[in-house]
Amino acid sequence: MSDTMTVIKTENVKKIYSDNGLPVKAVNGIDLTINEKEFTAIVGPSGSGKTTFLNVISGLDKATEGKVWLNGKLISEMSGKELSDFRRDNIGFIFQAYNLIPVLTVEENIEYIMLLQNVPKEERHQRVMDILEDVGLKGFEDRKPPRLSGGQQQRVAIARAMVSKPVLILADEPTANLDSETGAELLDMMRELNQKHSMTFLFSTHDQMIMDRATRLVILKDGQVDEDRVKS
Amino acid sequence: MLMFKIAFRNIFRQKRRTIFTALTIFGGFVLAAFSIGWADGSYTFIINMFTRNRLGHIQIHYKDYLNQPSIYKTISNYEEVAEKLDDMDHIESWTPRLFAAGLLSLHDQSTGAQLTGIQPEKENQATRFRQKIIKGELFEKADHKTVLGKGLARVLQANVGDSVVFISQAADGSMANDIYEVCGILESGDSMSDRMAFYLHLQDAQDLMVLYGQIHEIAVIVDELGRVDMMTDRLRDAFTNEDLTVEPWQEFAKSFYHAMKADMEGMWIMLIVIMLIVAVGVLNTVLMSVLERTREYGLLKAMGTKPVQIFKLVLYQVNILTFFSCLLGIALSIILNYWLSKDGITLPNAFTYGGMEFKHMYTTVNLRSILLPLITVFFTAVIVGIFPAIRAAKNDPAQSMRTH
Repeated sequence: MSDTMTVIKTENVKKIYSDNGLPVKAVNGIDLTINEKEFTAIVGPSGSGKTTFLNVISGLDKATEGKVWLNGKLISEMSGKELSDFRRDNIGFIFQAYNLIPVLTVEENIEYIMLLQNVPKEERHQRVMDILEDVGLKGFEDRKPPRLSGGQQQRVAIARAMVSKPVLILADEPTANLDSETGAELLDMMRELNQKHSMTFLFSTHDQMIMDRATRLVILKDGQVDEDRVKS
Repeated sequence: MLMFKIAFRNIFRQKRRTIFTALTIFGGFVLAAFSIGWADGSYTFIINMFTRNRLGHIQIHYKDYLNQPSIYKTISNYEEVAEKLDDMDHIESWTPRLFAAGLLSLHDQSTGAQLTGIQPEKENQATRFRQKIIKGELFEKADHKTVLGKGLARVLQANVGDSVVFISQAADGSMANDIYEVCGILESGDSMSDRMAFYLHLQDAQDLMVLYGQIHEIAVIVDELGRVDMMTDRLRDAFTNEDLTVEPWQEFAKSFYHAMKADMEGMWIMLIVIMLIVAVGVLNTVLMSVLERTREYGLLKAMGTKPVQIFKLVLYQVNILTFFSCLLGIALSIILNYWLSKDGITLPNAFTYGGMEFKHMYTTVNLRSILLPLITVFFTAVIVGIFPAIRAAKNDPAQSMRTH
C-alpha cells in the first residue's frame, strides 16, 4: 500500500443539518482513506448518510466539521470558485438520473468539461471518439439524449465523467434507474474501465450488484462507518 | 460560445412557451413601433397642416412685432430679404404679408375683419392658397378684388360678385376706405381665422394702408419639418443686422406647440405599459424555465461551470428570444408604418385641432419608431431576466441534484 497514492482522505468529517431547528447529524465523524484505482462502494440503508458523504467529498457540500483531502489538496477549506475549478479538473460524476444536457448531442455532452478546460478541438474530438468506443457507443455521437435508451444515456454519462481523466469518479446510485441486465452490463464496463484507465471509482449504493463487484465495501450506519471491508 | 449554443437550443425545448413569449415581445414591439410611428406621423401631419396652411414654418418680422403688433412695425426692405431667401437651400417657398384690422361692410351688414395683403402667386406656392378657394377664384393682380373667408362671407351674407367696403385707419393717420369686389370665398380649414379673413392683393393693401413697399411678415416654408430649427438659426445669422426677428413655428404658435408637446408626453405612458407587458411575459417564461431546469443548472455547476457562466446562459436565452422577436417586430412595424404612411387611416369622426379639421391620419417610418421600442423592449427583457439569471447562478448544486 505504501506506493499507492491516496485519492481521498477524510478526518472526522461531520455534516449536521438543521431540520425545523433540530440538528440532524447526517455524517457523524467519518475517517476514511480511499486509494488510487480502488472500486469502492459506500453502502447503507436510506438516511445512513451515503449521498451526503459523497457530496462532502466532492465539495458539492461543505462539511460542518472535519477535513477532506482530495488528490492531496485540502478541499474542505477551499473557496467556492476554487472548488468549482477543482471539481472540474479532478472529479467525474455519474448520477442515478443520468443528468445529461438534453439539448446537446452525445459528443457535445461528453466534451462539455473539456470545453470548460479549454482543451483544443482536435484533442477533444479524439478523446470523445476514444471514450465512445470504450463505452460501446461509437456512431451515436450526433444523437441527442432523448433519443437514447436509459442504458445508453448512462453510458454517455460514464463517458462524460471519464473523458477528462479525473482522479476520482463518484457514482451515486448509477444503476437505480436501469433494469438488472443493463445495470450489470454497465457495472462490468465500469470495472473494465477502472482497470484499463486506473481510475478510482467510489459508489454510493444499496444495489447488491454493485456490492458484489466492488473491491471494497464501506458500510455506513447513522452517519458513521460501521464496517470497512476490503474484498480479496 | 458553449453557453450560447445551450441557450439557443434551450429556446426550442418548450416550443409553446417560447412562441407565447416571443409573441408577447413581438406584440409589445409592434405596438410600440406603431404607436410611435402613428404619433410622429400624426404630429408631423398636424404640424404641417397647421404651418403650411397659413402660418409657415418660420416667420420674419420687424423686431418685437410678435409681442406687440403694430401697423408701423414693418419690413421696409423686404425685397432684399427676399433675395437672400431665394439664395438659401432648404427653403421651399416664402410669402410676404401685410396685416391690418378694420370694419367690413356689405349693404347693412358690418363686422370686424382682418385684412391680409398677399402676393397671390407667392402665397399659393407657400400655402396652396388657390386650393382653399371653394367659390370663385383668386385675384391675379391688384385690381380691387378680394377673397373672403367662408365665415366672414356668411356673416356679411356676401357672395362672389358683391362689393364690400373696408374701413380702417391708414399708417399716415388718414381714413383708409375703399370698395372691393368679392372674387372668391375661401375655406382654410381654420374656422376661427376664416371668420375674419379678408384678403387683398399686397399692392392694393399697401395703397389702402399707405404702406408703400412695406410688409409686416414673411412666412417661410422649409422643405422638411425637421430642418426648421437649423434654418431658423441660419436665417437669424443672415438677418442679424437688419432689425428683424426670425421665429420658428414653436415660438409664434406657442399654445399649439405646447398642446402638441403635452399630447406627445402620452407616448411615454404607452411605453411604460408596453414595458410592463413585456416584463410580465419574459419574467414568467424565464422564471418558469429556471425553476424547471434547477437540476440541470446544478449539474452544470457540479461539473465545474462557474456561476457567471450560468448567469450568462440564462441572459443569452432572454436576449436571443428578444432579438428574434424584435427582428420580426421591426419587419412588421416597417411594413405597417410604411403602408399607413401612404394610405393613411380615415378617421370615423373627423376632429378639429388648433381650429383645423382632420379627417385622415398618417403614420411615419423613422428611426425613432424602431429604436425606441428596441431599447425599451431589450432593456425590459434584460432587466427582468437578471433576477432569474441570478437565481440560476446561485443555485446550490447538491440541493439542485435532489430536485426532481
